[in-house]
Amino acid sequence: MQQNELDNQLSRIQDRIAGIERKAENRVFLPCESANVYEVCRFLFEDLGLRFVISTGIDAQDCFEVLHHFSDDECGCVVTVKAFVRDRDAPELDSITPLIPGAEWIEREMHDLLGIKFTNHPNLQRLILEDDWPQGVYPLRKEVQT
Amino acid sequence: MIDAMQNVFWILIFPGFVFTLAVGLFASWLVRKVSALVQYRVGPPVYQPVADVMKLMGKETLIPRDAQRAVFVGAPLVGLSGVLLLSTVLWLATAQVTYVGDIIVAVYLMVLPSLALILGSSASGSPHAAVGASREMKLVLSYELPLVLAFIVVIIKTAGLAEPGEQLSLAAISQHAPVLSISGVLAFLVALLCVQAKLGFVPFDIAESETEVASGMMIEYSGALLAVWKLMQAMMLVALPLFLVVVFLGGIEIAGWSLLWGLGKYVLVLVLVILIKNTNPRVRIDQAMRFFWFYCGTALAAAVVLASLGNYYGIAWL
Amino acid sequence: MDWKLWSLKKSIWVFHVNAGACNNCDIEIVNLLTPKFDVERFGIKLVGSPRHADAMLVTGVGTRQAAKRVQEVYRQTAKPCVVFCMGACACGTGIFEGGYHVAGPIDNIIREVDPGAIIAYVPGCPPKPEAMISGVVKALSALEPKEEHATERVGQPVVADPG
Repeated sequence: MQQNELDNQLSRIQDRIAGIERKAENRVFLPCESANVYEVCRFLFEDLGLRFVISTGIDAQDCFEVLHHFSDDECGCVVTVKAFVRDRDAPELDSITPLIPGAEWIEREMHDLLGIKFTNHPNLQRLILEDDWPQGVYPLRKEVQT
Repeated sequence: MIDAMQNVFWILIFPGFVFTLAVGLFASWLVRKVSALVQYRVGPPVYQPVADVMKLMGKETLIPRDAQRAVFVGAPLVGLSGVLLLSTVLWLATAQVTYVGDIIVAVYLMVLPSLALILGSSASGSPHAAVGASREMKLVLSYELPLVLAFIVVIIKTAGLAEPGEQLSLAAISQHAPVLSISGVLAFLVALLCVQAKLGFVPFDIAESETEVASGMMIEYSGALLAVWKLMQAMMLVALPLFLVVVFLGGIEIAGWSLLWGLGKYVLVLVLVILIKNTNPRVRIDQAMRFFWFYCGTALAAAVVLASLGNYYGIAWL
Repeated sequence: MDWKLWSLKKSIWVFHVNAGACNNCDIEIVNLLTPKFDVERFGIKLVGSPRHADAMLVTGVGTRQAAKRVQEVYRQTAKPCVVFCMGACACGTGIFEGGYHVAGPIDNIIREVDPGAIIAYVPGCPPKPEAMISGVVKALSALEPKEEHATERVGQPVVADPG
């Protein structure tokens, strides 16, 4: 769909997100709280038919951020759902794997490296860290020195 | 006593081990050089196969703990002796030292190298080698029948031209050139492709495919044992095209200019093998089986019928 | 030079191992083996099994996962076998210095299993195929025994020529 049509559609989930940030011509960020992530992603994936690209995990100093990137291939716009995970001691987020099976491995990787627990994930095992890496040490957290 | 000494000389020096080895190493260099020229590059220098074998002799020979030792070590030697005896029989046949039935001996000896490869890789104790062994077994099952059938076509044709009973001797077969007839051409083409498979060249190098099964059959061999396998493959390059020349193209006469013409025929068959090798991709094992059994089998059935008809009605070009 | 060394210099069979590389060095190695550079004229051939190899081309910083596997592959090669560290990461961890996943540069990993291993370094990110060829040639000429010093000549002292 075209850019302006995409903007109109995005206003349908106005109530679930904290705003629509347009960082560039074809780059849209939708910040939201962790409870609403599944619903927003379901809207983008099923209702708007966007393609899931990849996810990103970030350790911002006061919270974790999980970004899910969706792409509208027709107009070349990338829509990113930015979820804030406020609890740093026991971070939890709803997994979008039941909705999009392709997100399974990237969520396992975020769990390995940042320690975010994804509820409803079918297979939350170690993916990229080595076999005898100690449990509970998450290398990409800011406090871990290597 | 003199007879035994002469046999030992024939088998070990000329035209046996030393001679076939020298020609085989040169032939394997020829294969690599022609392949390089076809690919528009310079190939290895002429001493390259010798350097390869010398280097392998100088490395340590590792035998895996799970391997069946006796078969692992014995299989390369069995294969080497098989191809050595085959080459001796063929060269002696071109020198007219032959007997009735030596073509049957040659066919049996021809199977020995492939059998040794299967045994050696099965004894390696590695799953890659097991896959290579099973592929080689299927390949042998596919091409042995058409190859023997092709020889039977030649025997049928020779029966019409030679003394009764002589058609099973290589010397009598090599007096005529069965390729100058329709059934002969069919049989020659099928036999050429079967030889391509037996030599382990593309498009039928399924068993030792480097990129697929990490060099399948020979994955656990190293050092001196691997050198023996390489020697066996080099000597097969002498024996098998020579077999085709003797049976189909009229053999090699050891007399002046005819010798050059005969060697030219051998080089022609070798170059055909190289060109087929360089212009084709590798096929899957099921494609190879279908190719040999259905297409080659049908062609050979037609060739047998034509050859028998030609014999019965006395038409030479059938 | 004895026949073993001569034949090893003239016929080098290489085996490629990726120890956690970003694949740039791997692409350059594959480029090296195409007909354009024609390494077959030096006797270099790619083999599919470590037991057939005379040279192990290792790319990538040794990640913790890959370290044990690289050691296992090295133990399976038939000696003498030279280890070539291709690329900046293999020579000395490159840009991944101090990373949580790094088990050390390749030479430390190999020296753990074989302190007397012969290791050659080809730096670059990625090294050009010409640099790889030059590295292989230099490493092989380094295998030759050095000439004896003049002072060690038996029987006669070496006197410097005054005039």
